[in-house]
Amino acid sequence: MQSAATADVRTGTEDVLAVKALVKRYGDQTVVDGVSFHIRAGEIYGLLGPNGAGKTTIISMVAGLIPSDAGSVNILGEAMIPSSTGPKGHLGLVPQELAIYPDLTARENLRFFGSLQGLRRKELRARTDEVLELIGLADRASEQTKKFSGGMKRRLNIGIGLLHRPTLLILDEPTVGVDPQSRNSILESVERLGTEGMAVLYTTHYMEEAERLCDRISIIDEGQVQAEGTRDELIRLTGGVDRIDLRGSGNTSAAAAGLKKVPGVQRIDGGGGGLILTVLDGPSLLPAIVTGAGSAGMALTSVKITRPDLESVFLHLTGKALRD
Amino acid sequence: MTVIMAIAGVEVRRFLRDRSNIFFVFVFPLLLILLLGSQFGANSGQARVSVAGNAGTELVKSITGQLQADGLRVTHDSPATVREQLSRGRTDVGIFISDGAAAAFEAGDPADLEVVASSHSGAQAALQLVRASVQTVSTQQRQLAVLQNAGIDADTAAAALRQAKEHLDLPQVEIVDTNDVSQDFRSLGQFDLGAAQQLLLFVFLSSLTGAATLIQGRRFGVIARVLAAPVSTGQAIAGQALGRFGIAVVQGGYIMLGTAVLFGVDWGNPLLSGLVLVLFCAVAAAAAMVIGSVMDNDAAGSGLGVGLGLVLAGLGGSMVPPEFFSGAMQSASRITPHRWAYDAFATIQRHDGSLLDILPQLGMLAAMAGTLLVLGAFLLRRSLGRAL
Ligand SMILES: Nc1ncnc2c1ncn2[C@@H]1O[C@H](COP(=O)(O)OP(=O)(O)O)[C@@H](O)[C@H]1O
Ligand SMILES: [Mg+2]
Repeated sequence: MQSAATADVRTGTEDVLAVKALVKRYGDQTVVDGVSFHIRAGEIYGLLGPNGAGKTTIISMVAGLIPSDAGSVNILGEAMIPSSTGPKGHLGLVPQELAIYPDLTARENLRFFGSLQGLRRKELRARTDEVLELIGLADRASEQTKKFSGGMKRRLNIGIGLLHRPTLLILDEPTVGVDPQSRNSILESVERLGTEGMAVLYTTHYMEEAERLCDRISIIDEGQVQAEGTRDELIRLTGGVDRIDLRGSGNTSAAAAGLKKVPGVQRIDGGGGGLILTVLDGPSLLPAIVTGAGSAGMALTSVKITRPDLESVFLHLTGKALRD
Repeated sequence: MTVIMAIAGVEVRRFLRDRSNIFFVFVFPLLLILLLGSQFGANSGQARVSVAGNAGTELVKSITGQLQADGLRVTHDSPATVREQLSRGRTDVGIFISDGAAAAFEAGDPADLEVVASSHSGAQAALQLVRASVQTVSTQQRQLAVLQNAGIDADTAAAALRQAKEHLDLPQVEIVDTNDVSQDFRSLGQFDLGAAQQLLLFVFLSSLTGAATLIQGRRFGVIARVLAAPVSTGQAIAGQALGRFGIAVVQGGYIMLGTAVLFGVDWGNPLLSGLVLVLFCAVAAAAAMVIGSVMDNDAAGSGLGVGLGLVLAGLGGSMVPPEFFSGAMQSASRITPHRWAYDAFATIQRHDGSLLDILPQLGMLAAMAGTLLVLGAFLLRRSLGRAL
């Protein structure tokens, strides 16, 4: 495993979740192979990996649904094993597959799972109404969920996980098979939860989601953590630099000479109708580059930044594409 | 406990939401008991006699009165209708009383009655009863005639005879079965035996199909979600089982009450038969949990539930009474909860058994329920590690 240098800066707060050297075998196949990571309060942590990487299996052990063959899971310092009900109260699980009763209404589903979490009477009623509002199902609350669209079911699936305000929310590929609009609203809700101080464990095989949401990300493949860190840290592993394409007319060679002096610009190629710059951290250099080109007498018609993404990181680490 | 109740509550709620459940659990069993009872149970109950003749005549009145006093069910119809009833087996015996016979009877002369028995098996026994009743009527009439001939007026003679009868308990002609098994069934009403058998069959059958809801729950992922909450596997199984148990007890209680009210079934001491029912339902619910944890396909689970429900019912004497079983079948039937419950019901219904008498059966049922429940919890936990 390659570790990004600054990934493990402890803030001094206790870990909400600590996973150490977790192993799961099915027969002679090791589907989770020594996975470790930890999550702090308010942190959105991503497990990014293709189908079959072992994400759901990791989550099942974190949620105490299946026993591990080695390693440990601690939630707020308490060991999680299948028979321990204690740490499960801190946890909200949103399974990959919809886990709702199709023949019960949205409200009945929420009330049932809320009652399992120890919510009672007034509190249960109040939280049920709040969550129905939050997931935009307040006006459909009394309909059986089998009549719901895929996106509505997904939102309810998430709502159930949120009902008891868990310390750690686990979302297993919550946007699979969801229309773009619902997907966006799901991502927005998750972002909001992170800012409200909830710890979130989020698995996905969509790199854009991991990039957009997650404070830190583990790249998982074949049951192992291939790399861990913030998005930028991971991208740096590729030796990653950004590419800026400048198009325009005027004095491009003067512009090229001038831009060479901007700190962070590593290389300049091209000429004639445009320039291609290889830079560190393109977005932050952009204002300097645009001004520099202008003052050197180049009239810009288009500017395009191409950044390496987690897709390129995955390719770099495993030699495979992330998408299946 | 609240967790178990919540899980049980959802189970019941889901059950009630499916209207076809209501039919199969509550309507269908009673229909079947009615059908089987009228089909096979006729000869163990009231003999049915249809009388064709002028209802106003003394002879028809006397015979009707006597037949009813002897415990037969009497209806009056036209000769054509009675013949049709006889041919269709809707009545056991038809008595045809001509106006001439009625007149002769009133005159104190010998009267000839046409008595026809239906061809079905129970009819012969009924015919014997009818003969005895007719005999009684004719004896009385002859006694009356003798007294009147001796110069006593009709009213005084009748009063004297009535008085004599009250002091003199005449031996009644009765048809006695010689076979042991029939002896055992003699105290049972037409529907009693069938009701107990069907009760066990249906309660077990509909509980076993409840395995499908557990399998669905696992497939929907809701069971995993339940177990990701602070809920133990034992509580999850207990909750599910409690829901199924509740449904089974309501179904069983309903069948008991329904058959008692509609068909006059005698369940014996209600507390004791209630206790048998409750323990039997516990076994049924726990068995459903085992199937629901082992099988991964709810349609296959339902199929297995129905198959197993029928096989166990047959083996346990819910189709053919186990009294008719051979030695090997006798022993085999004791692996089924049906047999133990059947024996307990038989003890209560036919022999007025006490709690002490049915303690072995109750103990066996309780042990079965407990074992199956523990096994179910273990299997449910194990099922989570299995890809569905
Ligand atoms: N119950 C099981 N039995 C056997 N193999 C399993 C089981 N569950 C998962 N696997 C295997 O483990 C691997 C990881 O699966 P999973 O955790 O579901 O991956 P992901 O969630 O990342 O798509 C896959 O190869 C899968 O086939
Ligand atoms: Mg998965």
